[in-house]
Amino acid sequence: MAELAQPPRRFREIARVKLADAHIQTALDDSTDRLRTHRLHAWSDLPEVQELRQRAHEIRMSVIDDLDGHVERFTAALSARGGNVYFARTAEEASEYVANVCRRRGAKLAAKSKSMVSEEIGLNQALEAVGTQAIETDLGEYILQLAGEHPVHIVAPAIEKTAEDVAELLSAVRGKRIPPHLEELTNAARTQLRETFLNADVGITGVNFAVSETGSICLCTNEGNGRLVSSIPPVHVAIMGMERLVPTTADLAVLLKLLARSGTGQKLTVYTTLLTGPRRAGETDGPEELHVVILDNGRTNLLRGRYREMLACIRCGACLNVCPVYRKTGGAAYSDVYSGPMGAVLLPLLVGLQHAPSLPHASSLCGACTEACPVKIPLHELLLDLRRDLVAEGVASWAERVSFWLWSWAWSRPFGYRASTALARLGQPLAGLVGPGRAWARVRALPRLGRRYRDRR
Amino acid sequence: MPSVQLFATCLGDLVLPEAVADAETLLRRAGFDVVFPRRQVCCGQPAFNSGHHAAARRVARGFVRAFSRELPIVCPSGSCATMASHYLPELVGVEPFEVWELSAFLVHAGFRPLPRNTGRRVAYHDSCHMLRELNVSAQPRKLLRASGAELVSFSRPDLCCGFGGTFSVRQPEVSVAMADEKLAGAGGATIVTSDPGCLMHLRGRAERAGGPDVVHLATALVRSASG
Repeated sequence: MAELAQPPRRFREIARVKLADAHIQTALDDSTDRLRTHRLHAWSDLPEVQELRQRAHEIRMSVIDDLDGHVERFTAALSARGGNVYFARTAEEASEYVANVCRRRGAKLAAKSKSMVSEEIGLNQALEAVGTQAIETDLGEYILQLAGEHPVHIVAPAIEKTAEDVAELLSAVRGKRIPPHLEELTNAARTQLRETFLNADVGITGVNFAVSETGSICLCTNEGNGRLVSSIPPVHVAIMGMERLVPTTADLAVLLKLLARSGTGQKLTVYTTLLTGPRRAGETDGPEELHVVILDNGRTNLLRGRYREMLACIRCGACLNVCPVYRKTGGAAYSDVYSGPMGAVLLPLLVGLQHAPSLPHASSLCGACTEACPVKIPLHELLLDLRRDLVAEGVASWAERVSFWLWSWAWSRPFGYRASTALARLGQPLAGLVGPGRAWARVRALPRLGRRYRDRR
Repeated sequence: MPSVQLFATCLGDLVLPEAVADAETLLRRAGFDVVFPRRQVCCGQPAFNSGHHAAARRVARGFVRAFSRELPIVCPSGSCATMASHYLPELVGVEPFEVWELSAFLVHAGFRPLPRNTGRRVAYHDSCHMLRELNVSAQPRKLLRASGAELVSFSRPDLCCGFGGTFSVRQPEVSVAMADEKLAGAGGATIVTSDPGCLMHLRGRAERAGGPDVVHLATALVRSASG
């Protein structure tokens, strides 16, 4: 499965590599700027956007405050319409369930539309193990599958790839040179993927929202692949995080108003598909079997205290597009699945702080994420809370804790402050040699300590 | 004459004493008596933003002991004003203080600066705390314009400069990549800012890798944007 736990050095090491790659820096700048500008335009066209954000926040929090109840209502409603609902506590349970469905149906080929949860549980590898080949049909995901890479953005997974990169990958598959023009690239991918849609034994999708009242699932896609994957193959498996629920279809409408606007600046995604159960007698379209896998995988850890607000996230990607850190590092520094501010908050909560200790610090706390979040998650404040927990849970280093203790002991009284800063002034020539001073001085000039203001007065 | 308490901030006291002196000059010109509480040290922000709440609380209690609630507190730092007004009271468990960031206070008091920057091109850098938590962005620009400066806009004024307290030393490569973009975004104009943290970071980077002058707002208003 995809490893959500992140070693402490990963962030800085991958960031360094990405910073040195001018090609990726340009791709990140251009793409995040474009998405961000589109969101700002879309929001400004919506006169009541602030009220809508507040309403969306309240809807999401009402679900989180009664999450078990909503899971139960959704399960009952969908079961009544002939769907199968499976609640998976872990990534392994979820993958195993989907693999069993494929095995039972003797599936050779599974067509997938974009699903970050399927990335989270490492589904493709699990399916391979039972002899089912999974093919991504979202263009970005397909490109990454060809490249053998992971998504670096939750909405635009191949954001770091240029047309030239894509042309190279598709040319290899088609066995002929495809020029790096958007139309020809799309045509080449379409021809290749058409086969997958028609031949797939199982269709696998994510879920953007699920409605507890009706047992419906909602898919938002721009390429129409979600609709093909969920209607052509005889079996449809949809995988969702347990927090994807909304109470009613009226609430869904509020969130749909914000999702595409915040992600790409569209009023709605090109296709918005609402599915309620498998094909019924007398219907001509739709799968014979529908399975909805509801995944916990650490989400119930978030129900404590203020972190529950993170469960309100609708995965629009707006926070990534405005984050000055993400636009330098790209997504891979955070993890193979989630990235940017939402990833920096979510990952440590899913896997435990000791397994992702650098992520709460992978931010300058500028607050651009909080400002951009359509469901008003106070992302930068949650990062601040996570830093507090790093210290409280003993994950922060011993050296760091001793340093801050000594600092606070000295600076809690004017005498200690004067003495310590007089020492620092004397020690200036050495400041760039050790610890934080060294990290500072390697890339910046150290400030010169002269006579303090208080002594001049 | 009305009085205010000047909070120099630790970085102001240690690294930018001239800017603090300029802030004091501006407050006097605006018609205030300036009191400097001698026991002041720091608001505790470095530890608070790193998650070390016990350490932050110990230092923040010193702030509570040093300042009076009888007079407004004015400080030439957006992020320290944010810490002292938004976070410190809850951290220590005390009633809020009346804390003002310098430019917001001066504009509120109706201060008109001298024409020190006639014909000078300056780019004003918003510190994130000041922009997003204090919502103070118009006031420093208004003062700069009144001093005769021609304001040029950063290509992306919303972007953080990459200081971020300990972020600057935990992720130095990303931090200076952000600084480089900010420095280049000024289009050659002098950068003026109200935050000693951003200033120290941007100036330090410009000194090392090249870039425009970076000047504190108080200095730009008392002397000129060329420092």
